[in-house]
Amino acid sequence: MKNINIRHCPSRYRSEIGKYKVSINDMCFHCGLCVDICPHGIFDRIEGFNYVSTLHSAYCLGPDCSKGPFYCAEKCPVDSITIELDPQWKTLGDYRWTPDLIISTWQQAETGEIPNGNFEFKVGASEGGFDKFDFTIKNTHPLSPEEVGTINLSIPLNRRQEGQKITIPVPWYGAGMSFGSISLPTMLAKAMAAKEWGTFTSTGEGGYPEELVPYRDHVITQIATGLFGVSEETIQQAPIIELKYAQGAKPGLGGHLLGDKNTSEVARMREAVPLTSLFSPFPFHSVYSVEDHKKHIDWVKQINPEALISVKVSTPSDVDMVAVGSYYAGANIIHLDGGYGGTGAAPEIAKKNIAMPIEYAITKVHRFLLEEGVRDEIVLMASGGIRTAYDIAKSIALGADGVIMGTSELVALGCVRCGNCESGRGCPRGIATTDPELESQIDVSWGAQRIVNLYATWEKQLKLLLCQLGIKDIYQLRGQTDLLRYIDEK
Amino acid sequence: MKNKDNLRLIESRKKISPPDIHSNKTAMEGGCGVVGLACNEKIAGKHIKQALIQMHNRGNSKGGGIAAFGLEASQFKVSQKSLEEDYLIQIAFLDPDIRRQLEDEFLYSNLNVHSSGQLPHVDNYRDVDGLDAPPPDVWRYFCGVKKEMLDQFILENHLTTLDKRKVEDEFIYQNTYKLNKKYYTSLGEKKAFVLSHGRNMIILKIVGYAEQALKYYQLENLKAHIWIGHQRYPTKGKVWHPGGAHPFIGMDEALVHNGDFANYHSIAEYLSQRNIYPLFLTDTEVSVLLFDMLNRIYEYPLEYIIEAIAPTTERDFYLLPEEKQKIYSAIQASHIHSSPDGPWFFIIGRTDVKQKNYQLLGITDTSMLRPQVFALQENGVNIGLVASEKQAIDATLRSLHNEDQRFLPYADTYWNARGGSYTDGGAFIFTVKGNSLKVTDKFGNRVSSNREHDCPSVQREATQSKDIHPSDKIKELTQIIDFRWKLPIRDRTNVLTHAEKNLNDTFFLIPAENETSHLYSYIDWQKKDRLAPPKRQQEVLVIDCEKFPPEGTRSISRFIVEAFQIGWKKFITFNWRGQRFCGCGLGSGSNDVRIDVYGSSGDYLASGLDGAEMCVHENAQDQVAQVMKNGKLVIYGDVGQTFMYGAKGGEVYVLGNAAGRPLINAVGSPKVVINGTCLDYLAESFMAGNPLEGGGFVILNGLRFNEKGEIVELDTPYPGGNLFSLASGGAIYIRDPHKKAEESQLNGGRFGEITEKDVEIILPYLKENERLFHITINDLLTINGELLPLNRVYRKIEAIKLKVLSKIGY
Repeated sequence: MKNINIRHCPSRYRSEIGKYKVSINDMCFHCGLCVDICPHGIFDRIEGFNYVSTLHSAYCLGPDCSKGPFYCAEKCPVDSITIELDPQWKTLGDYRWTPDLIISTWQQAETGEIPNGNFEFKVGASEGGFDKFDFTIKNTHPLSPEEVGTINLSIPLNRRQEGQKITIPVPWYGAGMSFGSISLPTMLAKAMAAKEWGTFTSTGEGGYPEELVPYRDHVITQIATGLFGVSEETIQQAPIIELKYAQGAKPGLGGHLLGDKNTSEVARMREAVPLTSLFSPFPFHSVYSVEDHKKHIDWVKQINPEALISVKVSTPSDVDMVAVGSYYAGANIIHLDGGYGGTGAAPEIAKKNIAMPIEYAITKVHRFLLEEGVRDEIVLMASGGIRTAYDIAKSIALGADGVIMGTSELVALGCVRCGNCESGRGCPRGIATTDPELESQIDVSWGAQRIVNLYATWEKQLKLLLCQLGIKDIYQLRGQTDLLRYIDEK
Repeated sequence: MKNKDNLRLIESRKKISPPDIHSNKTAMEGGCGVVGLACNEKIAGKHIKQALIQMHNRGNSKGGGIAAFGLEASQFKVSQKSLEEDYLIQIAFLDPDIRRQLEDEFLYSNLNVHSSGQLPHVDNYRDVDGLDAPPPDVWRYFCGVKKEMLDQFILENHLTTLDKRKVEDEFIYQNTYKLNKKYYTSLGEKKAFVLSHGRNMIILKIVGYAEQALKYYQLENLKAHIWIGHQRYPTKGKVWHPGGAHPFIGMDEALVHNGDFANYHSIAEYLSQRNIYPLFLTDTEVSVLLFDMLNRIYEYPLEYIIEAIAPTTERDFYLLPEEKQKIYSAIQASHIHSSPDGPWFFIIGRTDVKQKNYQLLGITDTSMLRPQVFALQENGVNIGLVASEKQAIDATLRSLHNEDQRFLPYADTYWNARGGSYTDGGAFIFTVKGNSLKVTDKFGNRVSSNREHDCPSVQREATQSKDIHPSDKIKELTQIIDFRWKLPIRDRTNVLTHAEKNLNDTFFLIPAENETSHLYSYIDWQKKDRLAPPKRQQEVLVIDCEKFPPEGTRSISRFIVEAFQIGWKKFITFNWRGQRFCGCGLGSGSNDVRIDVYGSSGDYLASGLDGAEMCVHENAQDQVAQVMKNGKLVIYGDVGQTFMYGAKGGEVYVLGNAAGRPLINAVGSPKVVINGTCLDYLAESFMAGNPLEGGGFVILNGLRFNEKGEIVELDTPYPGGNLFSLASGGAIYIRDPHKKAEESQLNGGRFGEITEKDVEIILPYLKENERLFHITINDLLTINGELLPLNRVYRKIEAIKLKVLSKIGY
């Protein structure tokens, strides 16, 4: 694998939100001691001056720091420094994406390093699912340091005999988000990161912007129920075609892009009328059964015989049969989209309330495919609320081959999970918007680097975990539910 | 209910306890391929076999089955009386050792078995290509219920007031239920089940493709008035016995089904309240149990049974006569919770013992979500067919034609049912009685090809002269095929048959590619590896499509793409046998490509078309021109479901009708002329900009050819209840001089002004339509002998800004 270029890539805001807030009161007489002793660069000063010009509170370790010899609040001769929980921190996120998760994801995107100890960066606080699982490391035999270097995280995306072989070096790729739901710079950043890592990103349903063509070997294109932006050309230039039947966040509801995000640019790409809401029906009007589904896949293969086919479905109670049906219809990848995911555009009533939790679905499908004797013919990818490296590992231990990461990438770009993706001009942080002014906030190479960095820490964490578990190949983790335990179980 | 005493039958079932199993469905099955035929003469099984083979890609070799009704007594070595009056019980023994025990318990103790025997079969199942597992032994018994058993049954259940035959039916039904429960459902290992028990009918099912049942049980020469068949596509891979395959039985009927319900549990619950319990746990089984209950217990006439299963709703309901509305609303009030919800299409065969006839029914769901084609041919022998795909119908007719010239390879008429509608009720019934075949819709309205209609016959034999240049000959014969609609109906199929044969002969005479430098070059499946770039004068590649597989890397559509990539631009393709995806994969650089299509083309034709021109000289099928972006498509016939779904552009001309959901979700700038009409949901969610500024539109003419071959107006240009629903752009120009289209059909659109600018924009398309189909603008604009301006004949339906569509964030 080629060397991944990891660079420090700070927040694009002068004062990023952190967990702690550092403040200096009027007693300060600009001695400059705090600037000199703080190893985390919280206090900034202009060369030649002692006074603090900028406070980077986001890097502060908080009270944990008091154990060290450089605890500014204690050392300050006039006690002018206060360290407290940032009130903004408390307002971030929700139980799945806790403030800690958001901020630690930002940190990882900035540094490419595993976050330091005072953040809970592995799980959220949803009191269920991934957040209540942990790995049992007790009875395992850790790998030796030499073995660590040989750990294999790569997975094949085609397990069938026939068809082209595509392998990705890490067990994940980027989720499909349409042009229109997210901005072009965001799409490009995702694509650049995918290229750097040799994995994939997906166009989502809203067409294949020309700007993405240079990354075509790393771009999956989606055929969704609205068929927006689908043409033979887009199908022919993609190595993997994703047929999207449903989204876990809103199964049975199709897709929708509300009127005011349908700017003239978006409308041009989708060839629709600007400023009207665009609906993707549920389901495909031409697919109401398994044999229609096979016909649909056959059609795509007629247009691009080389392409691998991924079938994205949500997780209804008979998802196992859907998966087997898709296998027999010729799919290479089954993409299970669980109910936790989705941006703010998915209706609240649908999110988390319709589909089966992804944790159940993965195991159900994995076991059903095993029983059918076809498990090793098909790649099972999971998505929908997989946030961290640990979620990735847990999904694989439950039976998935790999996962698809969506929201985390947006968080890397500075998403605060405010949930206003769909309203007005869209995202105030310029991510989920098509407003030209808002979207200009994101510099593509900055965004790409942030995602590249995030991927790098995930890779490190997975390797560390596999090392602890004594597993050399991610494939051996697949379906090892005995390595998981329920945290609250005595 | 005609006779309240029938309820005692339901009471009597209380004694047969429900099965001790969960009522969860065991496998999801999707679509499947279904076919049925009814003929006033008895037809051998091998003919339906062709239709089943054509629909392999609708099954997955995990289950298939056939049923036959109106059999030949001599082939069963029984008397006509026995065939007509005895129950013909067929039992599949998954465990052959169980037979004696089962017979003693359920047959000889209760029934008088008049004759019995094992069905002959091919010695080694491996001799039937593609069979992976040995099919079960099947035994056949002709029997009646023992008098003392029947008397006891009547006494115990207080059924004295009921007709004895009716009670006997119930006895047989319960006997079968008990047998299946004991030997199929309750055992860990399934040992036996009843395939069929009705009169003058048989069912056979197999783990494999349906036609393998015909072959394995040696029924290819078995003759019957009615055949139905089914290719199954279960999503569970391991299937070792055919218990879950279709058809399923009620009493004297068998049902095959294509689709999947959302409310299996609701129906199962409804049935269980009437002491009816499914044992095989599929949608299909509950459907036929429902049918049997409505028929045998409630004694509804067929029309009401259909209404109970597929209710008439929305606008269609209000267009029914008032009297019908009353009855239907009563039926709906009682049965709506047992009406299957979701995509489904049923084909039912039945022996109507009372009326002494045999019937074939096709019923579609209200939204027409599954494919369905009906057909009728009346050429001396009268035959009606129904199938998932037209090409399956054509395959059967071709097979019959090859053996018996009274049959022609194409039907006189093909049509689709409009689900839950006031027009045809979404169902058609083919009734064979004596020597006649009668076709009616749900309401009993007669359907006929009108062959007997008195109009002069025109025989247009093609020129037989040998020296005529092939291109002239192709042109002439193509003209005959394209304009057969203008002939009296009795001649159409004959002329088509002859012209197609002549045309094919002309094609066969064309030399293969490397033999000469001719304008045309011929190639077929055998010669396909000799495909070479066109030589100097060669322009047109003539492809015999017959032997090409229907999909996959060696399909005809890939072959066309390969030929295109090495330089071929013009294609004549003929002998289509339902192969799919014609014209797919050419990509965006295909502006100078032209493909002519003769024969039974398949689904997804021109889907994705981006520049090429295609001409279909016959009816086209489902999913045609999906996501079409550019180019031109001309169809000299009808087109199937979801035509131009998600299309972006291009020019399309359809001589006939489009089925359900044409142009749904289309965007960009498609320009479409449909000379007939559509079943429903035309241009739903149409988003094709402003037609006056390059956006898309549909011109809907609402015409048909009458039996004399004249162009006449339809009763209404658009019968559906949904027109231009939720559309945000584009327009429909509907030819509606008598203002029959109503506001109530529009959900989001409105009738707008046709301005000078509109006229300017649509005229070129009407002119091209005139050139292609000889439907002149003059004729279109002449109403009652008076030439009217376009804006008095056409009406424009345009988008209004809908609240729901312009909604901004909440």
